[in-house]
Amino acid sequence: MNKALNYNDAFAALEKLVAEIEDDDIQLDELAGKVVQANELIKYCDEKLRGIEADIKEKIKE
Amino acid sequence: MAQSITLSELTYEIAGAIEDRMGGHSYWITAEVCDVKKYASTRRCYLKFIERENNNTVAEMRGVFWSNSYSQIENFENKTNQVFADGIKITCNVVVRFHPKYGLNVDVFQIDVAFTLGTRELERQQTLERLVALNPEIIRFGDGRYRTFNNTMPLPSVIQKIALVTAPNSDGQRDFKQELEKNKYGYAFSVTEFLTQIQGDNAHKLISEQLILVAQQQEKFDAVAIVRGGGSQTDFRPFEDYDLARLVAGFPIPIFTGVGHDRNTNIVDLMAREQKTPTKVAALIIDHNFEFENKIITLKDYFFERIARLLTSAKDDLQSIKRLVKMASPDAVLKKGFAMITINGKIITDPAAINENAEIQTRLRNEIITSTVTKKTKNEQGPEL
Repeated sequence: MNKALNYNDAFAALEKLVAEIEDDDIQLDELAGKVVQANELIKYCDEKLRGIEADIKEKIKE
Repeated sequence: MAQSITLSELTYEIAGAIEDRMGGHSYWITAEVCDVKKYASTRRCYLKFIERENNNTVAEMRGVFWSNSYSQIENFENKTNQVFADGIKITCNVVVRFHPKYGLNVDVFQIDVAFTLGTRELERQQTLERLVALNPEIIRFGDGRYRTFNNTMPLPSVIQKIALVTAPNSDGQRDFKQELEKNKYGYAFSVTEFLTQIQGDNAHKLISEQLILVAQQQEKFDAVAIVRGGGSQTDFRPFEDYDLARLVAGFPIPIFTGVGHDRNTNIVDLMAREQKTPTKVAALIIDHNFEFENKIITLKDYFFERIARLLTSAKDDLQSIKRLVKMASPDAVLKKGFAMITINGKIITDPAAINENAEIQTRLRNEIITSTVTKKTKNEQGPEL
């Protein structure tokens, strides 16, 4: 996973993957790979989002 | 040797002549007063009436308000908001008296207050007209109000550094500072005092001098407050002065006035931002600062609310994507009881790739069933289950 990826880029990539996964013509063996990729992106976005939230909370306290 | 009479006989003669000619008559006279000496405790007032022509005195006579007419002075001061003092012009009802020892004078019985008010109003109108006519770049009149450079200049968001122009040890000075100090929001103010006489003949010049001092260090101040304590004994004249009004109208720092007139607004008030009393000026400044703080509080609330909304919506979006991905994953499909067919480990999606007698693997969630195809027929029901 590219560490420099920002939340919006990661989310956009995720949306693209979801659109591909939802495509009826997708090959099953491709599907498994895309699901793995999507899960990685979800994990990344999740962590990033929590990081942003914690960061904001910290800043507000200052 | 010439025939002579005593002095008292002469004064008696004069008294008689005056009594014959003027006794029992009262006269309405209009004149300027000077050398006014008021004795409130004994309720008497001694003064001089004078009449001038081209700066020369052409008539002069002593006058007295005795205790029975002293209330006329109090009434005059109440009605006109003007101290009964040297330099004012009045119309009054008098009786001529001649006293053998003290000479000729007039006893005053009544003052025509309407005359003074009328004269003042006329003078006031003339001053206002002159201000507008001669200073169009800083004073304009429209929609019933005077718009000046000073009273239309924007106020700073927060007023903290104040130049206070007032009389030393006065009620106005005390009221203004107290109101600021006890403000319930705990705002800090820095007040620099420019103390001056604020009543009397020279007051307009002295106030102007202090204002000029303020202007010389204008970067140090957010606003100017000109204040004076109230009460009935107020002298409006300095605040009707053309030069002071003009200075205020073009002054580079916003000026607030609180000079204690309940009944009328004077000309300097019209050129500045007018409040009736020193306390009200201070209250207005506090409110002005609170308005700013309020804006910040609102903005802060909005900011945090917006952040919370952004985070929630981002979380929701991510959550729905998670669901979609989960539903689409082969694992989830197998969990639901569906199966995948593979030949030699390769997923088969096209039935044409399966021949009769081929060995295929049916992958369930936990098992792989290996079987040989014995028959292949079309699914007449289609994919609908």
